[in-house]
Amino acid sequence: MEFLLEINVEEMPSSHVRTALDDLKERLGRELAAAKIAVSSLSAWSTCRRLILIGDFAESQAVREGLVTGPPKSAAYAPDGSPTPAALGFARSKGIDVAQLEVVTTERGEYVGFRTVQQGKPTAEILAKAVPLAITSLSFPKMMRWGTGTLKFSRPVRNILCVFGGHSVRFEIDGLISGDTTTGHKIRDPRPIRAASIEDYKSALRDALVIVDPDERRRMILDQIAALLAPLGAALYPDAGLLRKLANDVEYPFVFLGSFPEDYLTLPIEILSTAMREGLKVFSVVRDGRQLPYFLGVADTRADAKGFIRKGNERVLKARLEDARFFWNQDIKTSLKKRAPALKHVLFQEKLGSYDDKAQRLKKIAAYLAKRNEGEKIAKDLGLAAELCKTDLVTDMVREFPSLQGKVGGLYARAEGLPDTVASAIYEHYLPQSLEDESPATLAGALLSIADKLDSIIGVVGVGIQTTGSSDPFGLRRNAQGVCKIVIDRKLGFSFPRLVDKVIAVYGDRLKRPKAEILDYVRDFFVGRLKYLHERRDIRYDLIGAGLGAGLENIYHVHLRIKALDALKASPQFEPFILMTKRVNNILAGQPACALNADLLVEKEERDLYSAFGIVKENVGPLISHGDFAQAQKIVFRLQPALNVFFEKVLVMAKEAPVRKNRLALLQAIRKILLQMADYSQVVVEGEKPGAGR
Amino acid sequence: MSLQNLILNLQKFWADQGCYLAPTYDLEVGAGTMTPDTFFRVLGPRPWKVAYVQPSRRPTDGRYGENPNRVQKHHQFQVIVKPSPANIQAMYIDSLTALGIDLRDHDLKFDEDDWESPTIGAWGVGWSVMLDGLEITQFTYFQQAGGLDVFPIPAEITYGLERLEMFLEEKDNIYDLQWSDDVTYRDLHLKEERQFSEYNFVQATVKSLRESFALAEKEAGQLLGKGLFLPAYDMCLKCSHAFNLLDARGAISVTERVKMIAQIRTLVNQVALKFVEPEGRP
Repeated sequence: MEFLLEINVEEMPSSHVRTALDDLKERLGRELAAAKIAVSSLSAWSTCRRLILIGDFAESQAVREGLVTGPPKSAAYAPDGSPTPAALGFARSKGIDVAQLEVVTTERGEYVGFRTVQQGKPTAEILAKAVPLAITSLSFPKMMRWGTGTLKFSRPVRNILCVFGGHSVRFEIDGLISGDTTTGHKIRDPRPIRAASIEDYKSALRDALVIVDPDERRRMILDQIAALLAPLGAALYPDAGLLRKLANDVEYPFVFLGSFPEDYLTLPIEILSTAMREGLKVFSVVRDGRQLPYFLGVADTRADAKGFIRKGNERVLKARLEDARFFWNQDIKTSLKKRAPALKHVLFQEKLGSYDDKAQRLKKIAAYLAKRNEGEKIAKDLGLAAELCKTDLVTDMVREFPSLQGKVGGLYARAEGLPDTVASAIYEHYLPQSLEDESPATLAGALLSIADKLDSIIGVVGVGIQTTGSSDPFGLRRNAQGVCKIVIDRKLGFSFPRLVDKVIAVYGDRLKRPKAEILDYVRDFFVGRLKYLHERRDIRYDLIGAGLGAGLENIYHVHLRIKALDALKASPQFEPFILMTKRVNNILAGQPACALNADLLVEKEERDLYSAFGIVKENVGPLISHGDFAQAQKIVFRLQPALNVFFEKVLVMAKEAPVRKNRLALLQAIRKILLQMADYSQVVVEGEKPGAGR
Repeated sequence: MSLQNLILNLQKFWADQGCYLAPTYDLEVGAGTMTPDTFFRVLGPRPWKVAYVQPSRRPTDGRYGENPNRVQKHHQFQVIVKPSPANIQAMYIDSLTALGIDLRDHDLKFDEDDWESPTIGAWGVGWSVMLDGLEITQFTYFQQAGGLDVFPIPAEITYGLERLEMFLEEKDNIYDLQWSDDVTYRDLHLKEERQFSEYNFVQATVKSLRESFALAEKEAGQLLGKGLFLPAYDMCLKCSHAFNLLDARGAISVTERVKMIAQIRTLVNQVALKFVEPEGRP
């Protein structure tokens, strides 16, 4: 039977709508499962003013059949087949006639008993309790109250429609009684609408200018955009976030094309599109990466017959662009170098000093990074970029559009004629802003970005600010992920612990936490981020663990290790090899380190293993230092036959201590090589529990 | 419609909804929210409905009269309805219709924008109301003021009068607006914007401003000790304005900013506590 729920609210933010629907679905699904009500489907629609669940549930709880057993058959009936006092007593105690008893066969033998059938409660009755409970237990990042009510929610709840099988399901939340009516578009067509079925509801609302399915609204927006752009041969400056927001914020999307005077096109595209996106929430229009003097807006209506909506938006945009041009012209009167001293008055963090202090540190860290990443040629430009990269914080443009920090600095650097390397590095040094975002395209940008992010992470950690659960006020997770992404994208192979050391040293005595503690914390923090980053690539968690288990000396190598494991996991040699390594680990567990003496190897099998090991070691060494873990791994697989025979024919735990120790030493040497590749003990093999050996 | 007719229309509309019309408050404030007609009405259990025009000073927004959109003093039309009725959004929409705006021809959006004023320890949840892309109103359900939870919950509707008038007159330049049929905004405010921009950014004496701040802060403390929270609140407003001027003069460092805001907030919190004492805390 059809289920329809609409919670009518005042305009909710799109992020709240998404989480509320997920939560509602999950909570209601759980309640229905607990009540044993069959659910054929349960899905969601929404607008900023409506949270909608639609579903198909059984009419009532499943019929519950039971069996009540009494005494054994042998004790229940006399030889003549008549019921004994035991049977009579059982029947009486259960309130049934003795004739209703039957013989049932159980695991323990034959007993007498009777079957019960319990009719289920109607689903509507369950819903009348479960739905209000699900609604009132929703939680949002910021909750509010309104009027004189007690309910806390994202925005005020104004009406609740709840219908099951064509009848309204009645309940009360904070003085609001649910029913089977809602209203059309708040401004265009606010008439009351009665809905008995999902189809009725959807089509009646469509007539009242509400498209309830967000995917349909999204398609409408994209179709209209395509139709408007085709004649211009133009494209949309892509902005998934804005599209999501607008598809949420309108109930009936109408896309309009507006324009602005061409003379504003002298402003860089970044500034134009940000003024449009952030100021006006409209899309900018480009052709071949160049801004055109047009924009696309999405209105909550069917048409703009008189052109008021377009003209109004054009007027607002023109004012915004006028402002932006004013800022640009003002800002470029003062060079970035002249602005630098003003950074002394801009606080980075109370205990970590000003942005001027940060710039001084970045110069040193960047110089260190340049030396270790083949950046000698750009070292001088990188130093200048480090010195100037934060100066745009004191420009009017960044005050107006904070999201353009870095980019504005880069644009101004170019405008005042600083070298390209400097301008690009400044422009790119906040990249990547997310894992979907691009890494810096230039080496200088990449190194400056790493320096900046690591300076923030180590500083914040070093003064004892904790990053936990939802609390990450300095965006340290995003910063650490950014560092990892750059390292991987640009294949940078520097020593991570030494860089951390360097940054701590540059901070000097500002950091109050002991150095060892900072190192530990930062290492664990990066391990967590590297796990997350690789899990997003759908790599098995145990392979990630194994790759990370070989140490965090070189972040790029960690990535290559994990990739190699992932590439080889399907190879037929992989699992037998893993089992073999586990066998090696088990036998070595708890053994002290032993010294290997080749002269003491007597048996043929152990000499064979030793020579195989020698060859493997020689070949693998250079491969590992170049990060070619896949090839190294394949070579290590070749130890497998020799190890097999060794375990078969040779008694490792020999009675004579020197022989035993020597064999252990050989295995220890092998394990050492293996550990340079991965911590294989973390790999889970079919039929095995994590970490368990044979 | 001239700006003064806009004001008259809004006054008529909200008076008809039962609001008392408060006179403009006679101290410099940054927003209509800060005057006693909002600050004290939203605290405590008693229902209130009030509407008033409040000139609002934002010294840093001064542009020497050269920017067609920004001014260091603009005018707000402030409405408080407490408790917020279920149809408060519809009432607001009706107020626009009452101004002669035919919403069938326009695009009205309630765009997520939660409001916060750290100085007076207040925050709320709500929207910027956008009319064809122009922000004409801030619509907020107050949740806290003076650091105290408020209950019942008031709705606060703040119309930006110049913005709304620019929409109604379809003008691109604030100075072209008609204040009345024969007086323009330029006649009344251009000189003011030029002179006050010069004062705010260049001439205001930092030393005297710091002294004013300190004096008002001290006075507020003394008044609070005597239970005179209304004049104490006026002193907080004086602190706030001195702070805004110092900010425009570029005389406040980041740490100092945090410290001064906290100083004012602490006083405002004590004022709020004194105010709700006899009425009973919510």
